[in-house]
Amino acid sequence: MTLTGAQVEVPADPRALYELSLIEQWGDGAPVLPPTDAAIEALLAYTPDPPDHVVGVLPPQYGVATVELVAANAAMAGVQPGAFPIVLAALEAILVPEWNAFGLTTTTSSVFPMLIMNGPSRDDLGIDYRAGCMGGAAGRGSMTIGRAVSLCLRNIGGQRAGETSRTVFGQPARFGMCFGEWEERSPWPSLAQRRGLPTDLDVVTVHGGKGTFPLADIHNDDPRGLLFLLAKSMAYPLANMYLGNADNGEVVLAVNPMWAERFGAAFPEMTDLQAFLHEHAWQPLDLWPAANRDILVSKGRVGSRNRVFLTAHPDQIVPVVCGGLGSLHAVALPSFGESAMQSVAARTLTSGAR
Amino acid sequence: MSTVMIRRPTTPPVAEVAAPTFRLDRPLTDLRAGIRTDAAWRSWRLLASDWEQRLRADGVASVTTVETHGQVGDTGAADRSHIGALAEAVDFAIVGLGTCGSCTSFAIADAVAIEQRERPVVAVVTDEFATHGRNMAKHLGHGDLSVLVLPYPLEARPDAELLEISAEYYPQALALLGVSRSAEVGA
Repeated sequence: MTLTGAQVEVPADPRALYELSLIEQWGDGAPVLPPTDAAIEALLAYTPDPPDHVVGVLPPQYGVATVELVAANAAMAGVQPGAFPIVLAALEAILVPEWNAFGLTTTTSSVFPMLIMNGPSRDDLGIDYRAGCMGGAAGRGSMTIGRAVSLCLRNIGGQRAGETSRTVFGQPARFGMCFGEWEERSPWPSLAQRRGLPTDLDVVTVHGGKGTFPLADIHNDDPRGLLFLLAKSMAYPLANMYLGNADNGEVVLAVNPMWAERFGAAFPEMTDLQAFLHEHAWQPLDLWPAANRDILVSKGRVGSRNRVFLTAHPDQIVPVVCGGLGSLHAVALPSFGESAMQSVAARTLTSGAR
Repeated sequence: MSTVMIRRPTTPPVAEVAAPTFRLDRPLTDLRAGIRTDAAWRSWRLLASDWEQRLRADGVASVTTVETHGQVGDTGAADRSHIGALAEAVDFAIVGLGTCGSCTSFAIADAVAIEQRERPVVAVVTDEFATHGRNMAKHLGHGDLSVLVLPYPLEARPDAELLEISAEYYPQALALLGVSRSAEVGA
């Protein structure tokens, strides 16, 4: 295997390497591991793609992402070799034009690629899908895969807050966010299945998410009543989805397994659940002040009985089952709007040896 | 101190490419003008409307406007198609407005699409996003794209103030397009 990336001699001492990474702006502010040839080659052993294969050109600065360069960043993030194909799949998803990396890497919004993983390797790779799956569970896969993608956007794409990225606040997920679906506790087909991909493959779905929006209830035992409240809460008046087109973007609704069981009993079919959520994810036009009302009217966002729906279609609300068994919570991952969720199956050399 | 060899994780700097730019070098008379507006920005719609009237008063044969509504999906595809049609139908274009991150990116991309069809074009951005706009033009291979920088913020200003800005910056837009006065052409 021939590596061609520029070689740099760096201190072997971890603290000195960390200091150097800060000076050279190679990282995200946290310590990085050295991308040695051995570390890079270990990652490359799990992908069928050769090191010089071009994954794509990453905006905003249009750096060419070769498999080798992605591996160097994945090595810095501490990605387990068997998880490297997930990193590549995530980047492929980000580079689908309809995901709109061109807009999302430069926007003032906080939006960032949020990775949702399905498939048989979730446990082996340390993908968190149970308690604390969106932060705190500390699975190696969840903590390193998202970070590797983030490092690629910085080091290859040139995305830097305040410079090429105009993000006003950013968000914690900009360090990297990757969680799995608890497929075994879901009463519905997995997210990957619903998006047309087989269950025996590891699939990463990339969502342009603005943040984690927590929702809680302890008073309502009726699934329809609770879903009504979830729908209304997702349709908050300053959601990005109300800024532009209703046709673009998806809102992810992460539902804990206990609630999923209740919702599944009421709505065995996912499409029926999505239709119910969509039916109630609206606000009355009168909620907004006059200036906003005028814009919503001019954009054709106002439906019958002066209802302003969050999304144009039910399938733009995307439930995912994950999280712990505390039956109080859900999390919405609001959309940037001008971005279409993408799913890509990882291509893995199972032997781990070329 | 012991050392270890690593591979640099960053891409090498991309060589700067500056695609040709185009200037009118003639008066506005009988030219076909194009203006790209953005449904997101009330301020720019007002300025663009004012500039449309000024262009007509200055003798253009026609003003075609395209209002953009999206970045992806059917609306985004329609917008890009309309920009392509605009570029074919006009002799020059004014493209705005870059006053957020992604809208600046798309305004610059649309201006580049018009410049690629060898039409004089000026991209309009606000001061906060001027560096970003120029960076995007550079990364798209059009580092010499003409960029007009308006004050920031435009939103939340009263109409009267916006129209003052409109009057002040209209001549600068024409200058960047290379519009010359009749007398200068004849001189």
